[in-house]
Amino acid sequence: MKLSAHYSKATLIITFSVLFIAGIIYYCTITYIVNNQLDRDLKEEVEEITEFVNLNQRLPGKLDFEDDQLTLTKTNEKLNEMAFYDAPYYKKKHKPGHNKTESGRAVKALVSLKGDNYLLTVTESKDASEHLTQLIIGITLLLTALLLLILAITNRYIFRGLWKPFYSILQQLKAFNIADSGSFNLSKTNIDEFGELNEAVITMSARVKSDYQNLKTFTENASHEMLTPIAVITSKLDTLIQDEKLKAEQFTQITDIYAATNKLSRLNQSLLLLVKIDNDLIQDNATFNLKDIILEKIHQFQELNQNKQIEITELLGDKEITASRYLIEILINNLFNNAIKHNITRGKIFIDLTPNELVFQNTGESGPLNSSEIFERFKKGKNSDGTGLGLTIAKNICSQYGFNLTYSFESSLHTFKISFK
Amino acid sequence: MKLLIVEDEQGLRESIERYFTEEGIICESCSDLSTAISKTTLYQYDCILLDIGLPDGEGFALLEHLKEGGKNEGVLIISARNSLDNKVQGLNLGADDYLTKPFHLAELKARIAAIFRRKAFNTTNVLTYDQISINLLAREVEVNTTGIILTRKEYDMLLYFIANKGKVISKNAIAEHLWGDEIDLIDSFDFIYTHIKNIRKKLMEAAHKDYIKSVYGVGYKFL
Repeated sequence: MKLSAHYSKATLIITFSVLFIAGIIYYCTITYIVNNQLDRDLKEEVEEITEFVNLNQRLPGKLDFEDDQLTLTKTNEKLNEMAFYDAPYYKKKHKPGHNKTESGRAVKALVSLKGDNYLLTVTESKDASEHLTQLIIGITLLLTALLLLILAITNRYIFRGLWKPFYSILQQLKAFNIADSGSFNLSKTNIDEFGELNEAVITMSARVKSDYQNLKTFTENASHEMLTPIAVITSKLDTLIQDEKLKAEQFTQITDIYAATNKLSRLNQSLLLLVKIDNDLIQDNATFNLKDIILEKIHQFQELNQNKQIEITELLGDKEITASRYLIEILINNLFNNAIKHNITRGKIFIDLTPNELVFQNTGESGPLNSSEIFERFKKGKNSDGTGLGLTIAKNICSQYGFNLTYSFESSLHTFKISFK
Repeated sequence: MKLLIVEDEQGLRESIERYFTEEGIICESCSDLSTAISKTTLYQYDCILLDIGLPDGEGFALLEHLKEGGKNEGVLIISARNSLDNKVQGLNLGADDYLTKPFHLAELKARIAAIFRRKAFNTTNVLTYDQISINLLAREVEVNTTGIILTRKEYDMLLYFIANKGKVISKNAIAEHLWGDEIDLIDSFDFIYTHIKNIRKKLMEAAHKDYIKSVYGVGYKFL
């Protein structure tokens, strides 16, 4: 639910309840005033009757005072004061048999005549005042409805205008990419809160970007600084193995050091490559046929395949792409490495290239892999001796050119699919 | 062959010097740009190993200096910067080759040998070692005047071995030379074994001599 809708809801509820309570108070007040007025009338009438009785020393005839109805009954009741109460009023119509009951107001009072007490009741119709009450309530309701409508409409339009800067910020925040160099283009606003928000967003994005930049620079520098020591280790090992006095077991250890150094060096190169891809530093774009690169790589990996007796089935169509040949070679390389490394002896690799997609499928020992984790840095199989960066690099190269690299497990085959848009 | 090593990292400089120093090769070394410039002004070298990141400036300055002086020393750049721009810049300035750190000394030596051969190409295009003679243009190998057929990888390997004759070459170095650093498979060691077995056999049949000696599982030595 949008903020404006929330706000409208709140205003509507509040307005409605306030008006409802006001309506009740209105009603009570009007009723009170009307009753008061009627009571005063009735009191006057009672006084008139009492005066009549005292003056004439007889009860009035069966005559109505205007439209009021009178009853006089002999009673023994003691009544100190006049009592007012609501009572039904029987309205006589001109046509007989069409009498109607209306709400009315009545008064009870004692009239003494020649030592006898008579109970006098006077009932007056409330009809006229009831009309007034209804009219007032009707007007109130109409006003309420009108007010609610106006509130709803103004909220809607005012909100749309007021929140414009906010939606502009939101739009740009959604599109925010930490690796992009472009900054926020926020329109000026005369609303303090949004002005502050704009400032905060700009400051925050600048800080985040600079932190990210620092981190990348750090990774790059760290990798660079490590290259020379690794070069020293390698050269020292190359020198060390020239020594003919070394024993077989020392050579075994040297072999291990070689392997570790080699891995260290590959890790380092992979990290540097990732930083370069992230920083968009490799931009030697050229247009070439992807098929040629794949054929070249099949040839290059031939011996490795023969060793594991892996059978490659390829179905390659022509696909021209514009990209860095260097990166695309690394991409195909990594997919090949992956398909061979995790394959079984006498396994199979299927490569399909169509104008829309490139699919690498391979047999393997393990079952389906976690497709959400597989492209993450340093996630690798238990038996893998790789750097754990190969597929991450492949993924990053793909996203660099807007390709989508996905993993799935289809009919017992590990499937890596690159969709070209 | 006279060689100048310009490298500021002492450990690396010493290793290179030690590995290259043998009969017929004179090594000189320095650790900064100014010394390198004055040395190249005074003396003539066949080949220069040049590091780009030097304490008193970039190695490119030496390339410019050589170009201005009209010198034709072979230059091999060794750099920790594996960027394409650097490579292109270096090669445009007249460097003959570019090697990225870290590298194997055997690879360095093979590259230097290749540069040296190219420089001396006007005199000969045949490389002879013991009973083996290789026609570098036609890529043909003869042993005792009998031609032997080698695959492309075997041929590459033989050249690599001859450039590093008498040295123990680690399997890692051979694997990197043959497949580059793109292939990160330990499996590749098995192929080295297969290739070596084949070369050995072919050379044995023609020369009746075992040129390749295995060294405790760490590598091989060409004698």
